[in-house]
Amino acid sequence: MLVHILALAVTLSVSAIADAQPSDPEHYLTQLIEQAQEKRLAEQREWHLLLHYRKELFGGYESEQDDPRFFMSSKGKTDPSAELSATLAQFFSDELVGRSQQPAQCAFVARYHWLKEQLAFDPSRLPPRACERFQHWYDDFEVDSISLIFPSSFLNNPASMFGHTLFRVDQKGQTEQTRILSYTVNFAADVPPNSGFLYPIRGIFGSYRGYFSTIPYYLKVQQYRDIENRDIWEYRLNLTETQLQRFLMHAWEMGNAYFDYFYFKENCSYHLLALLDYADPSLHLTDEFLFWTVPADTVRLIVSKPGLVSTSTYRPSRSTVIRRKREFLPPSERDLAHRVTQDIGELTSPAFSQLTPVKQAFVLDLASDYLRYQIETTRKDPKPELKERNRAVLTARSQLHIPSEEFAVRPFAKQPELGHKMLQASLGGGWRNNDTFEEATFRGGYHDLLDPEAGYTPNAQIEMAAVTVRHYNRADQTRVERATLLNLLSLSPMDSVFHSPSWRLGVGMNTIRHHDCPLCSNGVFNAGIGGAKEFRLLSRGVFFAFADAEANISKAYHELHRVGGGATVGMLADLTERWKIMATGSYLYFPLGDKSDDFRWHVGSRFTLSQNWAVRLEYNHRDRDNDVLFRVQAFF
Amino acid sequence: MSKKVLLFAVAILFGAQTGLAMAANPDTGPGCGLGKLAWSDYKGQKEIAPQVMMATTNAFGFYTFAISLGTSGCTNDGKIMSEHKTTVFASLNFDALSAEMAQGQGEHLASLATLMGIPAERHGEFFAMTQERYTSLVQAGETSPVALVKSLNDAIAGHPVLAQASVR
Repeated sequence: MLVHILALAVTLSVSAIADAQPSDPEHYLTQLIEQAQEKRLAEQREWHLLLHYRKELFGGYESEQDDPRFFMSSKGKTDPSAELSATLAQFFSDELVGRSQQPAQCAFVARYHWLKEQLAFDPSRLPPRACERFQHWYDDFEVDSISLIFPSSFLNNPASMFGHTLFRVDQKGQTEQTRILSYTVNFAADVPPNSGFLYPIRGIFGSYRGYFSTIPYYLKVQQYRDIENRDIWEYRLNLTETQLQRFLMHAWEMGNAYFDYFYFKENCSYHLLALLDYADPSLHLTDEFLFWTVPADTVRLIVSKPGLVSTSTYRPSRSTVIRRKREFLPPSERDLAHRVTQDIGELTSPAFSQLTPVKQAFVLDLASDYLRYQIETTRKDPKPELKERNRAVLTARSQLHIPSEEFAVRPFAKQPELGHKMLQASLGGGWRNNDTFEEATFRGGYHDLLDPEAGYTPNAQIEMAAVTVRHYNRADQTRVERATLLNLLSLSPMDSVFHSPSWRLGVGMNTIRHHDCPLCSNGVFNAGIGGAKEFRLLSRGVFFAFADAEANISKAYHELHRVGGGATVGMLADLTERWKIMATGSYLYFPLGDKSDDFRWHVGSRFTLSQNWAVRLEYNHRDRDNDVLFRVQAFF
Repeated sequence: MSKKVLLFAVAILFGAQTGLAMAANPDTGPGCGLGKLAWSDYKGQKEIAPQVMMATTNAFGFYTFAISLGTSGCTNDGKIMSEHKTTVFASLNFDALSAEMAQGQGEHLASLATLMGIPAERHGEFFAMTQERYTSLVQAGETSPVALVKSLNDAIAGHPVLAQASVR
């Protein structure tokens, strides 16, 4: 009997040991992999979002993520199923993985949570690990919501119209005053210092790596608002508690990732959209961008999703604040504020001391704004005397012992979501000399001076990759009439405070009539620098003048080219909310190559039909060449 | 380990190389060695040519602004350690803080007050106090952010209302 009992005890304990054998995790893993295969988890959108898989053109998948440590399987970049099995296996291990060096359950916390939910992990057979680093990181956000942040373009820099986007993780209990304390989730390329002049080119072809980071919002505000003078738009998103969790869990995983940074498509905005797509897979945001991702377009897309954005907020740049405050003051006080920035002695002048304390405070605040603007934008080292003057202004300000009053600043450009889309196609027709024509135009991007201005920085233009094909009826000829590789123009109105020059730069071709050639292709390179001045007629407008340099190549010229220079004057004005006109006149003399000169003028007028539709009537005169064109433009 | 103050990008502190600033090991430096802050080497607005180039590279450019900061001990996985939040904030926003102290209000000042545990309904008193002591506070801030925070704490302790209200 005793023997029997002993034997039974031995048997029981042996089987108990067998249960606890290392073969159980293996056994359980096999089970989980089988279950995952049954449920076809590796084919699910969720898994593809987590691993950033995109369908390849010829079948199969590839992940956009480029750090090998992001994958648990060596085939992970292209094999979603192998990656899923390897990930499940890694969840059993304490081995530190990923760039962040944690156990897989913690390094890839979003994957873990999704798979746990799908496969209902048995905690006794696959024990969950305490992920303290993640937990601390997560709790520290005190997440309440996510905001999309869009810094608009630089002053006087049309190329920056592409903008940038980032997310801000809004804290619980945050107020308008303390939102600068929250963290951002930002994606940017890591460009080494002294990387030389070619780094934008390298950026286009993906030779830098992009990383996610959590820079405090106050640093971003400093960068965009105070140093770069860009207005910021903030859009608070409506995300549920679960979506916020998913967003941050996936953001944490992204700390293990890097992406080769492609300026046009796989850029800041694209990868941020991927985060939002994971937070709410029903959004399908990244699917909308095939060839390029323009930050402003992503803003328009997010705002267009019903119910996704709850509120939007405008944060003016320092230069916008200065301009609005100046507009607010009568000319005498405006000049006084400006004199104070040049000579502190003005503070004892009767002109200043007779003001009410509230007015004095306003003038001093404007003076300090302007001095700080100068300190940030002056070439070379900020002049010590500027800093000293700012200190003196602030000291005087502190002695007034009253707080500054709220000053609401209206933006000069409407919110970006009201802007037209990036691509443009137009159809038109008209007369040239004694012929009639029809034409079609496609423009890859982005905005020219006459395009509907809502949502865009006023007086700035960037055109890229545009081509016009025209058919002349009498000549019975179809030809490429115009093409633009790049055409940048920035009018920056000067006044006593702001004195940036205006400038322009263009590379492209057009069709000219010259010597005996009635229609000849003509390569054009031009550049100009000048000034602009704002005026008010019916509404805001600008006058401008440029000194130009231009080089042309065409078989119409003797020696096939000409090089010269000249001057342009012009004006641009809104007649009504929808109707805008521009007129320019130029004289150019070409002393090199084909010695010749050109007198040109252009009158253009645009009428906005809706956000993405406009019509234009333009008259172009150059030398003996006259061209009238009417066209309908659509943005898409 | 000496607290070397190096010219480092914000990225180092908040995370370029290490993604969401996940260092291979969490930073465990000998304390947060904040140097003097300078947005030096920043070419953004100053010249047109680099500006155009920069624009094309809008989303690049951690390194366009260099900040001298102590190398380690301020952050964990990209988050500023809670004991350093106030000094890091005071250091990185000193210019804005000086202006707002003189002006008796502003979001940087309100944020600093929040970090120092002053409830929102007492911010008015805090602003008035910093305006009153503008000269001495700015002098302290120019020595170091730690000195600024200390002066503020001393001033709060000596203030009849704020001393009561402050959570710390």
